Amino acid sequence: MTMAENGAVKVAINDLSFFYGEMQALKKITLSLRRNKVTAFIGPSGCGKSTLLRVLNRIYEIYPNQRATGEVLMDGENILSPRQDLNLLRAKVGMVFQKPTPFPMSIFDNIAFGLQLYDRLPRSELEGRVETALKRAALWDEVKDKLHQSGNSLSGGQQQRLCIARSVATKPELILLDEPCSALDPISTAKIEELIAELSQDYTITIVTHNMQQASRVSDFTAFMFLGELIEFGETEKIFTTPTKKRTEDYITGRFG
Amino acid sequence: MVDAALSPHATLALNSARLRRALRADQIFQRLTFCCALLVLVIFAGIIWALVDGALPAIRAFGFAFLWTEVWNPVTERFGGLAPIAGTLITSFLAMLVAIPVGIGIAIFLTEICPRPLRRPIGIAIELLAGIPSIIYGIWGLFVLAPMLQQSVMPPVIDAFAGIPVLSSLFAGPPYGIGIFTAALILSIMTIPFISAITRDVFETVPPVLKEAAYGLGATTWEVLWNVVLPYTRGGVVGGIMLALGRALGETMAVTFVIGNAHRISASLFAPGTTISAAIANEFTEAIGELYLPALVELGLVLFFVTFCVLALAQYMLYRLEQRAGGRS
Repeated sequence: MTMAENGAVKVAINDLSFFYGEMQALKKITLSLRRNKVTAFIGPSGCGKSTLLRVLNRIYEIYPNQRATGEVLMDGENILSPRQDLNLLRAKVGMVFQKPTPFPMSIFDNIAFGLQLYDRLPRSELEGRVETALKRAALWDEVKDKLHQSGNSLSGGQQQRLCIARSVATKPELILLDEPCSALDPISTAKIEELIAELSQDYTITIVTHNMQQASRVSDFTAFMFLGELIEFGETEKIFTTPTKKRTEDYITGRFG
Repeated sequence: MVDAALSPHATLALNSARLRRALRADQIFQRLTFCCALLVLVIFAGIIWALVDGALPAIRAFGFAFLWTEVWNPVTERFGGLAPIAGTLITSFLAMLVAIPVGIGIAIFLTEICPRPLRRPIGIAIELLAGIPSIIYGIWGLFVLAPMLQQSVMPPVIDAFAGIPVLSSLFAGPPYGIGIFTAALILSIMTIPFISAITRDVFETVPPVLKEAAYGLGATTWEVLWNVVLPYTRGGVVGGIMLALGRALGETMAVTFVIGNAHRISASLFAPGTTISAAIANEFTEAIGELYLPALVELGLVLFFVTFCVLALAQYMLYRLEQRAGGRS
């Protein structure tokens, strides 16, 4: 495989199936996420892209009747194991949602909240970490004078960058972006795409998107999913120029979906 | 072509007739709603006027001293409202002390922890509890709760705290069964369903994705509740608590049954006392003197004022909370 040359495997997903009650949403998915690479998931609505992301931090566990089978090895450890400490896992896996989800607290506290879950940091260090996170998310200059205003007072794009700052503040190893730009204007989208490129130097990133151009712009690898199955997975350039499957080609050229 | 001949002027005329009728109906509707709103103000003013007018002889006779005089002597016609005012505030405060944590605890259990199939039955049970008439709580308090407290709760508590400086006077005997403590307990039982039903409803308005975001950072259920769910819903929760407090302050029947109706202030929570509404309910039939009835009406006026202050305070607290959180968009 040529893909093996592109860096080590961060997450290996083997035979992953997922069920919402009786409904099977993922069917025996097998693929690998490379360290410090951006992997995009594309496919029509309901194909299971978001579900796959929700398995990676096991956020689905807060709802009853949702279960995953198979294996998800993160650095060789099966995170689906019942012995996996969920809080620890979620500390290692940051997630950003479709709609911005600032917590009902100040901008500063939005970032500090996640930090304080794990460490009792002295105030000065806390301030430093908050500042670093906001700078990483390219938000610092816009909010540095109003850190103690509500997170809700920001614009949509700023809120989304706040959420990204919040998830990078805890220094996760893997970042899950679930259609992070779908509610944003083009300028905010461009900012976040820049951010993704920059963050991928330090983090392993997965992004779900409905926007083909975005997938081709920001990702190193692309997975095309359809009705819960992984149809094709490979380097983004190949998927978008010479897809091997007919359905992939139809989808990325806009013939369906 | 008839159609063509009719339009456009004929249709316009037709429309404008319809439009005028619709406009008139709209105006009538607007005035009607305005009258409804006005009615509230009229009733409000009427009640205040009636209370002030009824209390006037007592206000003239006792002045502001009414508020801090403990004497309540119908024979000499010396009246002071301190005992019932204090009783009202103390019983309500104690009731909230119990009802707020328990009520919110129930709501947390129902929305976050309880297995799904049990949620509806328990939720319905709580709503039923909120609908039980207060006289039933009164009967139950007098015939079941009070004897129980008298026999098996109060004596050991009194013994246990005997000799400890503050606590011994706070829980001093004899164990009547009825008294301030029992009234507060009944009030808390009555107000828990209010707090938990309202709190549960507002908890359910928290967007799931917000909770997911917090859980996604690795927060525990407790951390999510305390840092995200409660701040997000604080307005509703405080509203529920105030509704409950309003009920506790004004609750009459259940309290009258179990409080002992004694116009005095004791240090002991186990001693009998009275509240404003209990005093009014108990005594208005026998209030025959010049000043007796006005004194009772003045008590009512005080209760009205206290409730008003509590609501104003709640609004102010909410305002401060939102200021502290940095305002909302």
